[in-house]
Amino acid sequence: MNLRHIWAVTRKEFHHIVRDRSTLILVLFTPTALLLLMAYALTVDIKHVPLAVLDYDQSQTSRAFVQQITAGQDLDLYAYAASMDEIDAMLMRGDIKAALVISPGFAADMQALRGMPMQIIIDGTEPESGGFAVEHIAQRAEEFISTALASQLAARGFSVKTLQPIDLRIRTWFNPDLKPRNDLIPGLLSMVLGFPALSVALTLAHEREHGTLEQLLATPIGRTDLLLGKIIPYILVGLINVIIIPIFAIAWFGISFNGNFLLFFGLSALFMFSILSMGMILGVFMKTQAAALAVSFLVIFFPGFFLTGIFFPIASMPEIARLEASFLPGTHYAIITRGVFLPGVGLDILWPNAVFMVFLGVAFTLVAALFFRKKLG
Amino acid sequence: MNDAKSIIETNRLTRDFKSATAVDELTLSIAPGELFGLVGPDGAGKTTTLRLLAGLLDVSDGEATVLDFDLKSQAEAIKPHVGYMAQQFSLYGELSVLENLQFFAELFDVTKQEQNERTQRLLEFANLTEFTNRRAVHLSGGMQKKLALACTLIHQPKILLLDEPTTGVDPVSRREFWNILTELHVDGTTIIVSTPYMDEADRCSRVGLMYAGKLVECDTPQNIRGKLEGDVIQVQAEDWQKTLETVAGLEGVSEAQTYGEAVNLLVDNGKKRLPEIEAVLKKSSIKYRSIRIAPARMEEAFISLIRRMEAE
Repeated sequence: MNLRHIWAVTRKEFHHIVRDRSTLILVLFTPTALLLLMAYALTVDIKHVPLAVLDYDQSQTSRAFVQQITAGQDLDLYAYAASMDEIDAMLMRGDIKAALVISPGFAADMQALRGMPMQIIIDGTEPESGGFAVEHIAQRAEEFISTALASQLAARGFSVKTLQPIDLRIRTWFNPDLKPRNDLIPGLLSMVLGFPALSVALTLAHEREHGTLEQLLATPIGRTDLLLGKIIPYILVGLINVIIIPIFAIAWFGISFNGNFLLFFGLSALFMFSILSMGMILGVFMKTQAAALAVSFLVIFFPGFFLTGIFFPIASMPEIARLEASFLPGTHYAIITRGVFLPGVGLDILWPNAVFMVFLGVAFTLVAALFFRKKLG
Repeated sequence: MNDAKSIIETNRLTRDFKSATAVDELTLSIAPGELFGLVGPDGAGKTTTLRLLAGLLDVSDGEATVLDFDLKSQAEAIKPHVGYMAQQFSLYGELSVLENLQFFAELFDVTKQEQNERTQRLLEFANLTEFTNRRAVHLSGGMQKKLALACTLIHQPKILLLDEPTTGVDPVSRREFWNILTELHVDGTTIIVSTPYMDEADRCSRVGLMYAGKLVECDTPQNIRGKLEGDVIQVQAEDWQKTLETVAGLEGVSEAQTYGEAVNLLVDNGKKRLPEIEAVLKKSSIKYRSIRIAPARMEEAFISLIRRMEAE
């Protein structure tokens, strides 16, 4: 280890990042842009599903029912249809995602406490909206019936406190509104903050393609020093993102940050080191920038997406995937970001993940240095 | 062969690539302070030879020592003492002239004090003082070459390996560049330089001619010129085009080339052919100012040697 050599490469690389506009943009703004894009694309709250109603009953009760289910922002009454053909046409055109058919005698059946057939038609090409409509209608129907029943029973002299014997009181900790974004965005940080790994993977291939590697290899610099010198500036630039992105997440998405920021910053630096070392391994093996780019997506970003537990719980993965997940820096960092943001946990709980990230970073760097040869061709 | 005085010594040094053997059993001994020119047609193995000596390529077979370090096992130990300049521009375009110099100074462990002294001197040396803060990418081709040379000189290497340092450089810069090399040569630096220019080969103390990965000739420029089979007859004609057409196919004339107004003919035997050619020119009523047996130049010697190689 020759600190002077490391620093010389770091300074050189830093100049490169700052002066080459495309690299600067890639490193500095992509994480924020990516977070914005993914946060919006992946947490679409379903609202305003257009619904048509074919009411064969045409009673006051049926109209009250329709009014109840279309109240609020969840379902929008697109139109009253006159026939099944009309519903068919509206579904074909994509004007509606669901249709409700109320059978004749709806009001009478309810009055008589008979079973009331009701048909819901949904557009299977968009199961999320359709499923949402079904769930919503079923829930509102239950409320509607309960209310109706209670009033009927009351009319016959029964005093009814409630029709629901179990009083279920759910209390959600850490994310009281159960907003998926509150949990997703801290998880996404492990993806977006790892993005500069791409630049690191490209940096050796870039020097190879520009011919500068030839001159560099002719100097006495040590292999590990060269690789560390190349990783460090990306860690430093990446740490700017570690400051920008939480501020952005708090200010823009209204996510609460309950942990210790200094702890978060320090652990983020460890994450940077381990994920960028992973990028460096690719840089050592891939001789062209195009190959490094392609393989980065295959080895860093797709597993980072699917295996780090951001979207799919690791516990429900097959064993081999769980094993792979434990060797991804993103898995540990996702646990850290989720822990630090919402519950605000500290190092007493997160230390194993921190230790593991350091281990991965050192191991990756050593592997990269071991396979990096100061030779051309 | 194991000359104790040599600074570079190769013995059947070989480098194979997947498709071809780029350097084929090269045996060479270079004494300290030599200015050694490496010439040969494209693909002869000059670049591979220089890269091998710089420790940038693995040796496939044979041995080599540079400064008594074994090239195969001690390549890294050689690097601090060698200045290598690649054929294509291989400095950092986004860094300024000064930053490039500083970068290589740091990697070669040049102390700050030495750095300051040498940077100033090298910038003057390379006529780059007024471009100190210009980014390397914005320099002209010739200036880039001089900066690259300055970067390889910052640690005052004992050995300089220069791969076609003047290719694509204008004649004035080329002259300047060679003046710098001559100064270094005088100061005692061992220099190995590959070049496609025969006038440059002529300025070397010794020249190695490579062909198909082999060193086919290795001697002083004077001796190489002497190895020319045949003589050069130079005709100063008024109409060089017509002269060329008339004499090109004559018996004993293997090569005809023009140098401005002059036509140089490579012939098997000057004394025998001179009267014959004179007779043909007179018969064709071509006017010429002079016809004489001229001293062979490196270029003719080179071409004739290559022709012989190709024929074999």
